[in-house]
Amino acid sequence: MSDQSAPPVDPGLGLVPGRSFVLAAPRIWCALQPGDRPLVSVGEPVLAGTPLAELIHDPRLVAVTALRQPGPGRPGDRWDGPGPARLGARRQVRLSGELLYEVARGPRIVTGEPGGVMEAPAAGIVREVRPGMGIRLQLAGQAVPGVTMVGAAARGRLHVAAPGEGRMRAAGLDVGNAGAILVVGARVDAETLIRARATGVRGIVVAAIASRDLRDFAASEARHRTSLHRLPPFAVLVLEGALRRSLPTPLVELLTALVGSEVAIAGDPPVLLFDMEPAEIPMPAPDWVRVRQGPWAGREGRWAGPAGIRRYRSGLRLEAGFVSFDEGPPAAFPLADLERFI
Amino acid sequence: MTGDPRAFFALDLGTATTSAALIARLAGRWRLIGHLAFPSGVDRELILGLLVERVRHADPELAESIGAGRPARDPGSGSSGPVDTAVRPEPLGPAAEWPRLVSRSAPARRLVLMVPTERRREITERAMRGTGWAVEARSLEKSDALAMTSLALDPAISVLVVGAGSPGAADERGPLPELVGLVAGVAYRRPELSIVLVGAAATLDRTLQPLRTEVSGAGRVVALPEDLAQIGGEDRLRACLDELRGEVADTRRGIVRSTESLAAVLGRRIETVDVGVTGGLRCSSDPPRAQDSAALTSWAIIASAGLVAADPDDRFVDAVHGWLPASVDRARLRDQLRDLWLAPWSEIQGDGATLRLGAARAALGRLVSATPEISELPAPDLLVAAGGAWAVAPAPAIALALADVVRRHGTSTLAHDHARLLGPLGSIEDESERRDLLASLADDLLSPLGSVIVPQSLRRGRLNGRIRLDDGRSAIERDLVADEVARLDLPPGAMATAELEFRDGAILGGRGRRFAVQVAGGTGGLMVDLRDVPLRLPDRPDARREALAGWQRDAWTALEG
Repeated sequence: MSDQSAPPVDPGLGLVPGRSFVLAAPRIWCALQPGDRPLVSVGEPVLAGTPLAELIHDPRLVAVTALRQPGPGRPGDRWDGPGPARLGARRQVRLSGELLYEVARGPRIVTGEPGGVMEAPAAGIVREVRPGMGIRLQLAGQAVPGVTMVGAAARGRLHVAAPGEGRMRAAGLDVGNAGAILVVGARVDAETLIRARATGVRGIVVAAIASRDLRDFAASEARHRTSLHRLPPFAVLVLEGALRRSLPTPLVELLTALVGSEVAIAGDPPVLLFDMEPAEIPMPAPDWVRVRQGPWAGREGRWAGPAGIRRYRSGLRLEAGFVSFDEGPPAAFPLADLERFI
Repeated sequence: MTGDPRAFFALDLGTATTSAALIARLAGRWRLIGHLAFPSGVDRELILGLLVERVRHADPELAESIGAGRPARDPGSGSSGPVDTAVRPEPLGPAAEWPRLVSRSAPARRLVLMVPTERRREITERAMRGTGWAVEARSLEKSDALAMTSLALDPAISVLVVGAGSPGAADERGPLPELVGLVAGVAYRRPELSIVLVGAAATLDRTLQPLRTEVSGAGRVVALPEDLAQIGGEDRLRACLDELRGEVADTRRGIVRSTESLAAVLGRRIETVDVGVTGGLRCSSDPPRAQDSAALTSWAIIASAGLVAADPDDRFVDAVHGWLPASVDRARLRDQLRDLWLAPWSEIQGDGATLRLGAARAALGRLVSATPEISELPAPDLLVAAGGAWAVAPAPAIALALADVVRRHGTSTLAHDHARLLGPLGSIEDESERRDLLASLADDLLSPLGSVIVPQSLRRGRLNGRIRLDDGRSAIERDLVADEVARLDLPPGAMATAELEFRDGAILGGRGRRFAVQVAGGTGGLMVDLRDVPLRLPDRPDARREALAGWQRDAWTALEG
């Protein structure tokens, strides 16, 4: 929290690359595919769990050669009319779907099996509805930005299973975590993710995940969604990147403060959504900095001023800054290897 | 620029890097006073404040003379940190009013090409190569209409190109009505989408234009009814896509203009290779033959020639892996590349520097292989490296990376757009004003990396000889051995004559055994590159790594000392 009596922050701190700590009133995009049916309209308020759209599973295109159409259709409109003519059939079957486009020989309708309902991940207002494209929501709460999300937007109670530098193993998961969104620390592997999904966990928040594990899980998720219908959503939110690193302490403190409360994970942009009074959010100190890369990666300290241009390995001359840690004199790091929250 | 300023800032706002330079008029000439580069996202006013403060700190008189004197300080302002050894960003003072030349580059935008047949896809895709768009091409022959519609409805798609012959070829007449219906459906749902109709597809223009006039903020509909095979057909499509792609102050467009002007000013053939995080540019410009004529320029912007990718595939990872002098686990390398995408400036020293230069070489390789028409030209007089990939790389390492990948037999001077001025200066619309400024700035504009001589052997692996480098005051001689990169000291600003003699003859401009060429010095000195053209690396991984380490060691140790 900012303190009126605190010394002014050194202007050199602004040269340290910043990343957002919390986004207020985030806007998210919920992607639809042609055939999905929006259930909300622009300006409509929604609550967490409000159905946004009916999804279709295994969409397919049907060419209709209809003499009598149900009305003057435009692409994106619902189609509820005659289906394709079948040789020898006494009655033409009815077809329900979405008008994709029209050619001289008749309309092209996209239809499919019911594939469940897309729900609003948090309370907010519908800002845009584009049939076949997506729904834009402006949400009421706040969001912690991540770098990657895999899976489908999901909601649940937050539980910190492994803090900061910890790591969660598959064996540590059981059905007791069903319905929760788990914070699993520094790294997670595909096996743990698959087990988490199987035990009913709704989401995982992790600092880093290796590309190989991310791909394995994404492939598993795609197979899972293709083979079954109406699975509960499961989302993985990566906050830092691919190489192993711990969660920054300010984020751990925020996530700890959110334990037990309802949060959600959304994918576009990848964020962890929560609702907390802004004054209650534990903000990092203004001079808090963290070493992002290199042998000191993960160390956190206080900004101690610019160090000018310094010569590093390989003869590189880089802008540097001093960081004070709990012990010892301030150490100089290339500014590009540091980060701070803004 | 307007008026007659004493100084101005040149800002290159890249996807990953913000580069700021201070240029001032001193003794009747424009000079580069200083420049800084920071990760994008750092407040540009702070960067300018630091740049000006450095000038004030280093040379107060110069700062005063250009009007950047220190403004009156507020009592109590300034630093109070526990360590105080370096200058901090300070208010710009009067410098805040200086003009700014700004260029911007952004990640490659995505374009969908929709055509009736695979044959048409190949023709149209070829015509669109080098326009800087990330192209996803689909034909009704291989994709279904639903998948094509879903792709075109992706909000990340900015432009839709619909291609057909003119008149429609026999194999196109069947699927064309379906394609036209599909595109009309997409156009109805996405009025913001710009649509380019090529060949017979241009008839759709009559249907689409009325839809667009009803909507504010609608994308453009451009009809190009001529067949791409007609004279100028491909050029019209390229010009249209270039117009749709870039902002007015697009950095890569600026680099093309600056290269063109510089070729005219210096009277030399210049090639610029720009590698940024999200794309690359290769531009070659010959000086104009007559005083007032235009330079002969060809260029290509390649979206896939970026330093890194959000989700690097196996081919991408292998290409980088192939340039690393040390053994790295491929899975870990993929993770490193993904993190490099997320934070392109992190770990820029130590092992990170080697990784970045490996990725830069791989990107340069993609750029070169996508521009065969430029590769067919003779070696340029001046080869310029530009872009964020080289922003913090040491000069000898950049020179070697250029020699590794942009390979043609001949002699070239190598230079680096170290202050990233080519983009911003290219934003000056007036050609003569731009030429005057570049002529005035010529000594500071580019950092000399040195020269490279690349002889080609008549018989593979038999290139042995001797070089004598004479700069008029002293001469160095040394033996030349096949497959090595011989380095000779030649400081920046020095000119020398290199006399080369090969036992079995070689090609260097022409065929012969003895050659004499003029070379310019630079931070990397003179490199005589006796490796194959194109470069053939050993197949065995350990032998390849050993060869790369040998060549690169010299480049790095030159700096460590």
